[in-house]
Amino acid sequence: MSILVPLILLLLALAGAPLFTVIAASALWGFYQTDVDLQVMAVEIYRVAEMPVLIAIPLFTFAGYLLGESKAPQRLVRITDAFLGWMPGGLAIVALVACALFTAFTGASGVTIVALGALLVPALQKAGYRQQFNLGLVTTSGSLGLLFAPSLPLILYGVVAQQMALDTPVSIDDLFLAGLLPGGLMLLALSIYAALQPREHHKTDHTFDKAEAWAALKDTAWEIPLPIVVLGGIYSGFFAVSEAAAITAFYVLVVTVLIRREISFEKLPGVMRDSMKLVGAILLILAVSLASTNYMIDAGIPEQIFDFIQQHVSDGFTFLLLLTLFLLVLGMMLDIFSAIVIMIPIILPIAVEYGIHPIHLGILFLANMQLGYFTPPVGMNLFIASFRFNQPVMTLYRATLPFFFILLITVLIITYVPELSLVLL
Amino acid sequence: MIKRLLHWVHKAEDALLILLLLSMIILAGVDIIARSAFGGGIVWIPPLLRVMVLWLGLLGALLATRTREHIAIDIINRLAGAQVKRICAVLTSLFAAVVCGVIGWHSKEFVAGSLEYDDIAFARVPAWPLQLVIPLSFSLMALRFAIQSAIAAVHGVDDESAEARSAEASA
Repeated sequence: MSILVPLILLLLALAGAPLFTVIAASALWGFYQTDVDLQVMAVEIYRVAEMPVLIAIPLFTFAGYLLGESKAPQRLVRITDAFLGWMPGGLAIVALVACALFTAFTGASGVTIVALGALLVPALQKAGYRQQFNLGLVTTSGSLGLLFAPSLPLILYGVVAQQMALDTPVSIDDLFLAGLLPGGLMLLALSIYAALQPREHHKTDHTFDKAEAWAALKDTAWEIPLPIVVLGGIYSGFFAVSEAAAITAFYVLVVTVLIRREISFEKLPGVMRDSMKLVGAILLILAVSLASTNYMIDAGIPEQIFDFIQQHVSDGFTFLLLLTLFLLVLGMMLDIFSAIVIMIPIILPIAVEYGIHPIHLGILFLANMQLGYFTPPVGMNLFIASFRFNQPVMTLYRATLPFFFILLITVLIITYVPELSLVLL
Repeated sequence: MIKRLLHWVHKAEDALLILLLLSMIILAGVDIIARSAFGGGIVWIPPLLRVMVLWLGLLGALLATRTREHIAIDIINRLAGAQVKRICAVLTSLFAAVVCGVIGWHSKEFVAGSLEYDDIAFARVPAWPLQLVIPLSFSLMALRFAIQSAIAAVHGVDDESAEARSAEASA
């Protein structure tokens, strides 16, 4: 009986049941067996209304959807091209930087591939890059930027880790700092690969053009303050995350709807609904997993798993290697938000036992998840890109493979060099 | 008749969602201005904002249920044939309906308890009306999942978009 229920739940999850119902059912089953009144579920769900930082989730998501629907992606590509386009492999680096920035602000929900990919793939092709490379680059970039503020997965990891009452506090500000160098390393590695790419012709190479740079600056005048204020405010400690989110949402709403008028009043409710669907899906999973986490900790499940693992794995090195393999598979199957709320409550206490810093764990977890987005055969972004660019999925498997191995190396570096994540704290 | 009623339920949900999001953005802005310009925030805004997050989340989840956009593992839909997909859709929606129903049912007691003990959310606002969103949204989700399960059983799930549309029309 004890094995039957988890098995059925696992099958239901694989059969496509909404994940929040599977998590809720496991918590309900656990509480039922230990004679806890089931209204505890409502108590746990109501705790969503007791965490100030969660205000950031609807606000950032909404701002991200607005930006995605506006012409901000075009302007972002224009200005990065004007300032970085003259370098060797310039346009490819432009693509990487633009995608990373856009993903950090919109959350890695595939919106980067849809919004920026359509601009970047034809532009890269015109610059003489191979189609294979272009597709791989854009698909890979769809999850690049996850480690930079104010990315939602980083915030969510902070929220979940804070529920665990660890000896080392996990502040979201620290996570934002910790992500800088690892995220930068990924960006650097991919930029070097891009700079080494052969190209068919160099017709569209351009030198730095002052007039175009100035025109692009003027064109983006309304957007430029956003990353400066938000990132500056967050990294300097001037704003809390929720304040930065409030400013972002308010500012983006005013600029896109009232000043630039790129989103009409008729279109606005649709954007709001779409963004809140994602928010609802994330918050619901978070709410029910608060309950399942609570049950698991009471039942001592992380300790049991730790005892089991420790019989076979004695050192941190092997543990991290196995964790990486496990997370790659997990990242391929689960979206990043579910992966965080389901797995972190189990993995974090175990990792701490192996002497891994909670902040370092967060960064390496997300770095692995980032890879999982385009790990064949079922990484989500492979399908989004296949759909968006009208290419068979097999083509995208091949296209992303070199990028996969480059990022795999950076993920291993991030995993085994904790200083990279912790030195800025 | 039922169609009209559903139409209005959907409109009301959408309107409430949009109203909540807009007021949240405005209130959060006012709070920041009050705190930075006048040195002190307005006491009731932060707790109200937090409750609004819960409401937005649950309303968003209701909306995601309407259009079948909940986060799920999507392997079956990519690999399986129509018949297997159909069986999975019937079973998983039914399962989701039961789980939401159980949560909805038991959260009723949570709200009743809070009413009985006069729990206060913030300022002098009682907690129970704010908590009411939990039983309401979960019961509605249970209903929607149940209807989707029935639709999958009767019509099957050959065409995903058509199914989403019919689910939206009837759930």
